[in-house]
Amino acid sequence: MSYGYCSILDEEWSEPNRDLEGPDHVLMIVRHGVSHRFQPLDPLFQYSRLLFPAAVPAVSDKMTPVGSSNGSFSNVLVPTRNISTSNAVAMPYEKRLGPKGWPRYNNVVFPPQTMDEKRRPAYVCHMTTNIKYSPWKMWYVACFIRGMSVDEAVRQLSFVNKKGAGFVKKTLLEAQEIAVQDHNVEFRSNLWVAESFCTKGVVVKGIRRHARKRVGLVEYFHCHYFVRLEEGPPPKHYFTPSPDGPTLLQRWIDERRSQRVYGSY
Amino acid sequence: MIAFREVVRKNSLLLTKSNSYLFNSLGYVAPNAAFIGQDYKIQVRFGSTKHWNPKWKPFRRLKVIKVDLPDFNEAAESKNYSPDEVRAKMKERGMSPPRPWMERPFEISSTSDIFEPYVPPEGDGKASYISKEGAKQSAEMVSKKSKTWLAFRKIRNFDEDFEGKHFAAEAQKIYLNVHKAVSEKDKNTLRVLVTEKAYPEVTLNMRSRTIVWNFLDTIEEPRVVHARCTDVIQKENVFAQITCRFFTKQSLAIYDRFGRLAHGSEVVAKDVLEYVVFEKHLANQYGEWRVHGKIIPEWAPTNFETSYRTFRMSN
Repeated sequence: MSYGYCSILDEEWSEPNRDLEGPDHVLMIVRHGVSHRFQPLDPLFQYSRLLFPAAVPAVSDKMTPVGSSNGSFSNVLVPTRNISTSNAVAMPYEKRLGPKGWPRYNNVVFPPQTMDEKRRPAYVCHMTTNIKYSPWKMWYVACFIRGMSVDEAVRQLSFVNKKGAGFVKKTLLEAQEIAVQDHNVEFRSNLWVAESFCTKGVVVKGIRRHARKRVGLVEYFHCHYFVRLEEGPPPKHYFTPSPDGPTLLQRWIDERRSQRVYGSY
Repeated sequence: MIAFREVVRKNSLLLTKSNSYLFNSLGYVAPNAAFIGQDYKIQVRFGSTKHWNPKWKPFRRLKVIKVDLPDFNEAAESKNYSPDEVRAKMKERGMSPPRPWMERPFEISSTSDIFEPYVPPEGDGKASYISKEGAKQSAEMVSKKSKTWLAFRKIRNFDEDFEGKHFAAEAQKIYLNVHKAVSEKDKNTLRVLVTEKAYPEVTLNMRSRTIVWNFLDTIEEPRVVHARCTDVIQKENVFAQITCRFFTKQSLAIYDRFGRLAHGSEVVAKDVLEYVVFEKHLANQYGEWRVHGKIIPEWAPTNFETSYRTFRMSN
């Protein structure tokens, strides 16, 4: 066993990976926001091939390139992504503030489905924390896109005259990318906004003067915005739809029938 | 400030306080015949409703004490600050820098790379031993093994019972155990079977998916194909890396996070040709042979039947 002392070099501004630390092996892993990529062909991780023993076939197997006939599919390597899947990103020296529970839904692994079961739709949970915008104002934007398809929501938000719309749009696009990269969603347009809500974040307090030596409190609100995208076409009615003619008529009839006519027996 | 005002239209001419005649952007517009002679109201925007003498505005602004709001998302927006920038930011906040030396000792129990990687011959696994090509291949392998023999000798310095012939069978056991641990997501066993360099690579592909793997048969006996010894920092701190060739029958099915089949099949068996590198820390008396990496030859096919990824062609 060799013991060594190593200074934290300038290039390696790293945090030791707490998952692996222990008496047997202390490994310095530099965090670069590496994401879980659902990309078995990633050459960076050679061990992706370990899980695909069907990699190198012998004489008997004949594998034709996937989608070689039509040009739409491709075996292109996934380009590096700039979004980190870790939530509540902070500088290396900062304590991570804000909610952490929402992205944990992305770690849930469902058991393999049987042949009878209907194909389970993929979902992805994403959030942006501590947006400098009032949560009460953000509520309008969050409610607006509920039940829309991702494309429609992004299109609409581009023309909503609110500061929060920009943040929501950014979050939606990030979530879309994460869904395609990590959660095995085939079509990036085949997503709809299943859940969209906002909560209050950090409140920074300032002061202002009033007349006659009076002081007033100024609150600078931040909000967290959460979104869950689900795979599939958007539902026809996300909210309870207003009843149509026949339904209303039937209700009216039922009311009349259940009425009590006093004096008649 | 943009104000909305209801303005009365009289006989198709717009009359307001400031202007008594109006042309729209295209010029004078002929009135709608239905509205001739009738007064009707429309909402109109006007540019600025600023007071003509805003002398109290700066005083009102000074009443609110300015607060520097910290940017909570600055780290998310611009990642990968250089160490100098990080140091500058910490100085701004009055935070002392971290210790420039590390007080906690650490052990180097694995190398970070595969040294002098084995280059598998092209067409390996496609011709049988009996054929002319197959015989030629096996002959070539034996003749190029001088460095491998030297490495074996070095290994025998530390481990007297070591023999190249018997190692391959042992290696296969470790290899199969690794696969089993991965399919069961047994990280504790994996720690022992796999080196520190390979561990993150393996675990990364374990996350967020279910792996169903079965070992069915050995097509060709495993054999040692390549061996090298290296030293790290000190000359006596020797690591040995041995590459073994496995030709086996396996079945693999990978289900994604939602339980949908993403790759392979539980039923279909595939012939698998692999070159796995095993590493042992010889200088360490408790060193074990562990899976260190894999050699993926350039001629290996890359067309896997994975779940589709659809791209939009940029035009």
